[in-house]
Amino acid sequence: MRAGASAAGLAWGSLRLRLLAGTLVWIVASIVIAGWGLNSLFSRQVTMQFDADLNNHLDQLIAQLAIGVDDELSMRGSLSEPRFSTPFAGLYWQVDAAMRPGAAALPGVLRSRSLWDSVLSVPVDPLGDGQVRVHRVEGPNGNSLRALERQIELAERPGQPLRMIVAADERLLLAPIASFTRLLIIALGVLGLGLVAAAVVQVLIGLRPLGLLRETLARVREGRAERVEGHFPSEVQPLVDDFNTVLALNAEVAERARLQAGNLAHAVKTPLAILANAAARERTPFARLVEEQVAGARNQVDHHLAKARAAAAVKASGLRCAVRPTVEGLMRVMSRLHVERGLRIEWTGTDAEAVFRGEEQDLEEMVGNLLDNACKWARSRVTVRLVGDATMLAVVVDDDGKGLPDAVRAAVFARGVRADEQVQGSGLGLSIVHDLAQLYGGAVALETSAMGGVRAVLSLPRAA
Amino acid sequence: MRILIVEDEPLLAAQVIQALAEADYAVDHADNGRDGCHLGNVETYDAVVLDLGLPLMDGLTVLRKWRADGRRMPVVILTARDNWHDKVVGIDAGADDYLAKPFHMEELLARVRALIRRAAGHASAELVCGAVVLDTRSSRVTVDGVVISLTSHEFKVLSFLMHRQGELVSRTALIEHIYAQDHDRDSNTIEVFIGRLRRKLPPGLIETVRGLGYRLTGPA
Repeated sequence: MRAGASAAGLAWGSLRLRLLAGTLVWIVASIVIAGWGLNSLFSRQVTMQFDADLNNHLDQLIAQLAIGVDDELSMRGSLSEPRFSTPFAGLYWQVDAAMRPGAAALPGVLRSRSLWDSVLSVPVDPLGDGQVRVHRVEGPNGNSLRALERQIELAERPGQPLRMIVAADERLLLAPIASFTRLLIIALGVLGLGLVAAAVVQVLIGLRPLGLLRETLARVREGRAERVEGHFPSEVQPLVDDFNTVLALNAEVAERARLQAGNLAHAVKTPLAILANAAARERTPFARLVEEQVAGARNQVDHHLAKARAAAAVKASGLRCAVRPTVEGLMRVMSRLHVERGLRIEWTGTDAEAVFRGEEQDLEEMVGNLLDNACKWARSRVTVRLVGDATMLAVVVDDDGKGLPDAVRAAVFARGVRADEQVQGSGLGLSIVHDLAQLYGGAVALETSAMGGVRAVLSLPRAA
Repeated sequence: MRILIVEDEPLLAAQVIQALAEADYAVDHADNGRDGCHLGNVETYDAVVLDLGLPLMDGLTVLRKWRADGRRMPVVILTARDNWHDKVVGIDAGADDYLAKPFHMEELLARVRALIRRAAGHASAELVCGAVVLDTRSSRVTVDGVVISLTSHEFKVLSFLMHRQGELVSRTALIEHIYAQDHDRDSNTIEVFIGRLRRKLPPGLIETVRGLGYRLTGPA
């Protein structure tokens, strides 16, 4: 993956971000709900336990209640819980009773020692016999207390109900809940972080084949591979297969375009040849016109066919072609076609590994035209050199001819302009080289050769 | 000099045949690859003009078959497929020259002349034998700088002998190289042409090797 990819990976529209955001929302929501649920369950449980304890104390209190002979209320003994006897220990009991039948209950007739001299003020509300009610009341030193109240009526004292009250400091209930909540938050936090980390790892591993696919595609685009190779997960493999099919189809289309271009050339040029030959036998202005127009038509056909072929090839991907053997084939052709000139055509330096990122026929078309020109203009010698760096390669063709004036040099690339009308050729060679090189992102330049003639430098993209 | 043209387009073939005949070549024509291949294998040609897009057998296959069978006659490919790739393929298949359509007939004639001359080992366009000079470009023969007039057949015989100076040329070889395939061949006419040539050329130039044929020898 390239350096820029991680920054781009965070942008909206990134699969990674979408997957991560989705997982994150899900994790946070489930942890919050779980935390809230667990906490309420625990609070309820603890509160029930707390109330059950208070209820026990209440039962004990009722059991210890005694009535003396003078109708006086008293306790048979102290309650077993020592905190009832320690002042302000947080656990209290109290008995409210009416002195006479029908009178309102008098609070604090009997009280635990822990209440010292204070009396709990529990709101009065009618209760059935044996019914229990929970109240929140203020304690002796200002603390909130949770109080359990039950009303009883002793057989000895008909019509004089007693309110039996047991209360405990609310902090005794809230402290364990708070401590549980704290622990719960820590535990769920750790769980959440673990889940997020797992999700990140899962997304990275899950999406890695896409990164791999991207690298492979880049290799195809750069001409280092002709198709997407390698095993991909079953979700991605159909995509890869389809892509390979498209690549193959593309290559087929390019090949068909070449073939059709060749067929078109054949179909058009043979009638042109017949016309030109027939006209050449006549000495009339009409015959000259035909000859001229045939030459023009031939130039147009050559030029546009070369460009159409190249355009098809440039769009295709994964093309590569070794430069040296291609140039050597052309050198064989040159020494045959220009055999009358007795030229020496030779290498002066070569990078044997150089591979052109493009179609072999286009390389042949470019180098062929340059070599052909050099052979036409040379006096005795044409040299070819192959140089290059990591991204570009250059084919340098030198001849020892008489060279080109600067003004002509710029003009020769214009279609149909010939540097030297005496040297046979369509005049299109260089402009085709120029157009093809440009299509491939390369260039061609004419310089002065150390051998005295023209040096043509054709630079082209190199395949890795 | 006898030339085979393999070309399926009848009009173009007729034009080339006419031009070659006017340049005093004996011309055979095949309009498909299979016939062309057969003719090249059984007849003797000084040069072949070969199209590539041919019915029945394509030109490259024909050429490769000839070369595989050891047929060494010079071949110029005449085709509309003129990109450099096709030229590399053509030359590597054994072609000696390559000419793209449309072409100038003079260009084709010049290439054919040069091919025949080079195949016979002559570097210059002018063939010289003593006082006799034959300019292959203009089909003109001079003796001591004076142009002499020759009939078409006389020129064909002299041209063939000039290309093979010093070699013994049989009567059969002469017949094969100056008449097209469908021509009525009479070996006695060769003697007539030789007799006429001897009267127009310096004495002793054409030597008769009894029972074997003729030899053109310049002054030692």
